[in-house]
Amino acid sequence: MGVLFFCAHIPFVIFRDSIKFPVTVDDGNIFGSYHVFFMITTLLMLTGLVLFAFSKERIEDEQIAQLRMDSLQWAVYLSYILLIVCLAVFSKKQDIKDVMHMGIWVPLLIFIVLFRWKMFRNSRYTKEDAI
Amino acid sequence: MKNNIRIERAFKNITQAQLAELINVSRQTINTIESNRYVPSTILALKIARVFGKPLEEIFILEEGD
Repeated sequence: MGVLFFCAHIPFVIFRDSIKFPVTVDDGNIFGSYHVFFMITTLLMLTGLVLFAFSKERIEDEQIAQLRMDSLQWAVYLSYILLIVCLAVFSKKQDIKDVMHMGIWVPLLIFIVLFRWKMFRNSRYTKEDAI
Repeated sequence: MKNNIRIERAFKNITQAQLAELINVSRQTINTIESNRYVPSTILALKIARVFGKPLEEIFILEEGD
């Protein structure tokens, strides 16, 4: 479901011009094209990522909860380090806006990668000494 | 912390998967506990002890340096 949402936002970004979504400056109108485009892309992407990141495993036990906490902790650390480095390197106004925009989804993405990696490593160890 | 889960399992003749099912966790969790890569919570440890019908101290043993 989450992956579906995430994938659904991609064509909107790619075909931004051909489906007549002139992305202009925000004019404050809630039904303006800028706002509709923003709703479709960013919200689809975010809901997709959130659903994918926080959906329950088939057997959700305390060890998985532990792995989740670990990954979440490291995701926050890493994303803030990244944010600080990016802000230090790029200091032009437009760049800072892009960096902040990136900050919307980077923590979630790092969390997903870390958590999946830990789960994968866990199951690989288990296979190695299966009885 | 050491544990005797593997030995107790052999006594009772049940597999990791069966033990996991008895206490509602995944097989990975039992596996990582047995190989000392994961320390279970007190609740989980008590559940394991109840399955084997033994006091906790006979299954989980504190080591020097813990």
